[in-house]
Amino acid sequence: MPFLKTLKTLALSATVVGAATFVTTMQAYAEYPERPITLIVPWGAGGGTDATGRMIAGLLKNELGQPVNVVNRTGGSGVVGHSAIATAPADGYTIGVVTVEIGMMHWAGLTELTGKDYTPIALYNADSAGIQVRADSEWKSAKDVLAAIKANPGKHKGSGTGQGGIWHLALAGMLQDAGAAADAAPWVPSKGAAPALQELVAGGVDVVTSSVVESSALIKAGKVRSLAVMGEARLGAFPDVPTLKEAAGSDWKMAAWRGIAGPKGMPDEATKKLSVALEKVYKSSEFQEFMNGRGFGLVWKPGAEFATWMEESDAALGGVMKAVGLAK
Amino acid sequence: MRFNDAIFGIVLIVFAIAEIAYASTFPRLHGQDYGPDLFPILLGVAFAVCGGILIAKGWLARKTVPMVAVGDWAQDRGNVFNVALLLASIVFYILASSWLGFIPTSLLILIVLLLRLGTSLVTSLIVAFATTFIIHTLFAKVLLVPLPWGLLLPIAW
Amino acid sequence: METVLKAFTLIADPYTLGVMLLAALFGLFVGAIPGLTATMATALLIPFTFFMDPVPAIAAIVATVATAIFAGDIPGALLRIPGTPASAAYCDETYAMTKKGLAERALGIALVTSVIGGLTGSIVLSMSAPALAEFAIQFSSYEYFWLACLGLSCAVIISTGSTLKGFVSLFIGLFIATIGIDGTAGFPRFTFGSVELMGGVSFIPAMIGMFAISEVLRYVASNRATIAVPQQPVGSVFKGLGSILYKYKINIFRGSSLGAVIGILPGAGADIAAWITYAISKKRSKEPEKFGTGHPEGLVDAGAANNASLAGAWVPAIVFGIPGDSITAIVIGVLYMKGMNPGPMVFIERPELIYAVFIAFFIANLALLPLGFGAIKLSRQILKIPRRVLMPVILVFCMVGAFAINNTVFGITVMLVLGIIAYLMEENGFPVAPAILGIVLGNMVEDNFMASMIKADGDPLGFFSRPIAATLGILTIALWLTPLLVMAFKKYTNRQRQERAV
Repeated sequence: MPFLKTLKTLALSATVVGAATFVTTMQAYAEYPERPITLIVPWGAGGGTDATGRMIAGLLKNELGQPVNVVNRTGGSGVVGHSAIATAPADGYTIGVVTVEIGMMHWAGLTELTGKDYTPIALYNADSAGIQVRADSEWKSAKDVLAAIKANPGKHKGSGTGQGGIWHLALAGMLQDAGAAADAAPWVPSKGAAPALQELVAGGVDVVTSSVVESSALIKAGKVRSLAVMGEARLGAFPDVPTLKEAAGSDWKMAAWRGIAGPKGMPDEATKKLSVALEKVYKSSEFQEFMNGRGFGLVWKPGAEFATWMEESDAALGGVMKAVGLAK
Repeated sequence: MRFNDAIFGIVLIVFAIAEIAYASTFPRLHGQDYGPDLFPILLGVAFAVCGGILIAKGWLARKTVPMVAVGDWAQDRGNVFNVALLLASIVFYILASSWLGFIPTSLLILIVLLLRLGTSLVTSLIVAFATTFIIHTLFAKVLLVPLPWGLLLPIAW
Repeated sequence: METVLKAFTLIADPYTLGVMLLAALFGLFVGAIPGLTATMATALLIPFTFFMDPVPAIAAIVATVATAIFAGDIPGALLRIPGTPASAAYCDETYAMTKKGLAERALGIALVTSVIGGLTGSIVLSMSAPALAEFAIQFSSYEYFWLACLGLSCAVIISTGSTLKGFVSLFIGLFIATIGIDGTAGFPRFTFGSVELMGGVSFIPAMIGMFAISEVLRYVASNRATIAVPQQPVGSVFKGLGSILYKYKINIFRGSSLGAVIGILPGAGADIAAWITYAISKKRSKEPEKFGTGHPEGLVDAGAANNASLAGAWVPAIVFGIPGDSITAIVIGVLYMKGMNPGPMVFIERPELIYAVFIAFFIANLALLPLGFGAIKLSRQILKIPRRVLMPVILVFCMVGAFAINNTVFGITVMLVLGIIAYLMEENGFPVAPAILGIVLGNMVEDNFMASMIKADGDPLGFFSRPIAATLGILTIALWLTPLLVMAFKKYTNRQRQERAV
């Protein structure tokens, strides 16, 4: 019966190929996008990722002529939403906001997903971590912070996000870079930067390594001081806050970032169209105004550059997580 | 369906043992004596204590409260069927809605349940269609909830 | 005074008022639909606010939220499906009133207390925002831990029937809250490899399952009409309300002020405010045995509290940029976008905008009265539909609602499983309310406990190391020990009496 079997296989493959050709020609005929696009946001409504995602969705609609619906898929430290983006049908009608956590979750053993499981479209934002202390803290510079933690390991507590979150790595990596143990300042997990800053002001913790922007209201209120920013250069919105290099001579840098990506294997037509539209959105005065107004850092890296960015970020984060003992 | 308290007590204690056993495999926090296992274990102990008291209470009341009393509904075959049909509809929606689409799934479930609960065919059809299209318009169109199109994708509006 | 006048002219603009009216109608509609919360309504509003001036943008959010929280009471009372989590605390009470034929009365009370609570919250917000924010920001994880413990004690008070079964129910809720990635170490607990479960059990599908699906199950299992009661024609929604509200004037005051205070604390919002005030109402009531049987007293407290907390949540949001609840988390984003960066400076730099926000709160709450009245009149028609037609329709609504919160059918699975559990629990005399409270407070208790332990290096005395924490802690422990001491004292005096009798 081998012949019959072969025949069957052949017939089957012919049908599949035929159907596939039919489907692809169908797609080729209709101009992308011909129906609404879904933008998955892996974080909750109201957060920074959600705010930028909704802004982009609103502006993309004008460029593409189709509504872009924002869908929040929250939970599991971002795993749920990132999986939803990666496993969506790769037809260009589901894209999402991919955040820095994609380079962390797999090291923690929460998922197999990495940046390689996506079609990168563009990176649009990166926010460097800052070092925030209470206004009445005796620490006047990043140097003081490092010296105090080194002198008394385990005494001073830090916070900013959950255990093993991006701001935790910022603190741990900085300590390690300064020659202290990565856990010399024990981490008090919080649900995000806002509750951590509340703890800081209430006197519950001593240092919060979230982005500087997240504490701008408290800085203006005179409750919190920012001592340094862990980036290449000072921030436009906070010219008085020195870089970590200037403040303590450390080369350590850490930033949270956000970009738009789709599932792996998206049709080229869709990817191209999306990146062109997204670039227009990025350069629009509305978007620039919005990002500057909120204090979000603007960075633009399309396609392949975004892929390289993700790979580098992934490697750097993996190094810190292993050193801190958070990697599986 | 009513059970004697002792049955619940036993269920709780079995659950507590399994839960504590599983929770104690959770890793501890870096350099600390407690971690994600602490709360589940405390809860397990609480379950076990409550289970113990329930068993004692149920045992004392065993003369008046039978171990299992299926409610009146279980005597009536029709009601048992209704419950099964309801649960099956929900499972059906979970399994089928993404490829069948919201509109066909909802129509099917509504028509079947309405007919089964004794509504006339014409009313059932009217109610099913009206409900489905109102929900679809409200959620998918006005509130932008991505209800699946499924089979109807080619004619999506 | 000049700034207040300026603020009035900003609000009195026909465009702004029109936007507020539309937003209020939108809020009523979204709030009444199970699965869509006031937070969701706000998030859906954001794209529209992009293109508005600051005042109409903020006023739109204020109006939406004020009406959405009330609207959540409507399906709760009529169908036992709380429209928003803030209605869950007294859902059974209002449903019991409907079963007695008092649907309009229940909703009338909910409406008027919502308005009063909302106005009280607005007054608190406008009179004392900076000072109160200063107090609220002193709360660290120790204080929150005790606060959450106080909240848990409410479970025993609100449970009807056996206290032991109330405890079991509470523990079930707390256990459900532990499912998913834990807040301390980021370790996935009880997920058995499921990515969906990593996100934990979402509260909305859980609530829909435990209230609505268990009710639908009970209907099909019994074949007896669950609300076949002819509704008493009260004549008017407001008729007879005056005497009820007068009787419970202390409750209104207590609910409104407590609600506002709970709202001010970051992380505790309208839902927790409703639970706590409902429990306090029962505890302080002269007729606690009537609670749960369709008694308006607890509804008066909690109905006022959840609306009062809304305005309270804006206090830390405006003053420090720290969200009081999930709604104000979105609001902070809008404030930034509109150049009203939160912080005490905004009171000095743009006082007319802040006053305009305060005035918007008053207008929104006053507008709720006629709008809510219309909504009650319209929605009570639902009760005229025969159950056999209504139940399948409710089922589809529930499934779509459970789907909508995270846009995944997993929500429907959660709804189904918890619906069956709740049905079995209720059939066997286990109250459902404590389980829902456990789901609400579970993470707050655990996260703050763990954070406090880490901060104190495992020293339990840390929980009493700060003045507010120590006060709250002693209060909580006293509350827990009182019934035991009273019991011991009674036993002791009884024995003495018996001995004397011998």
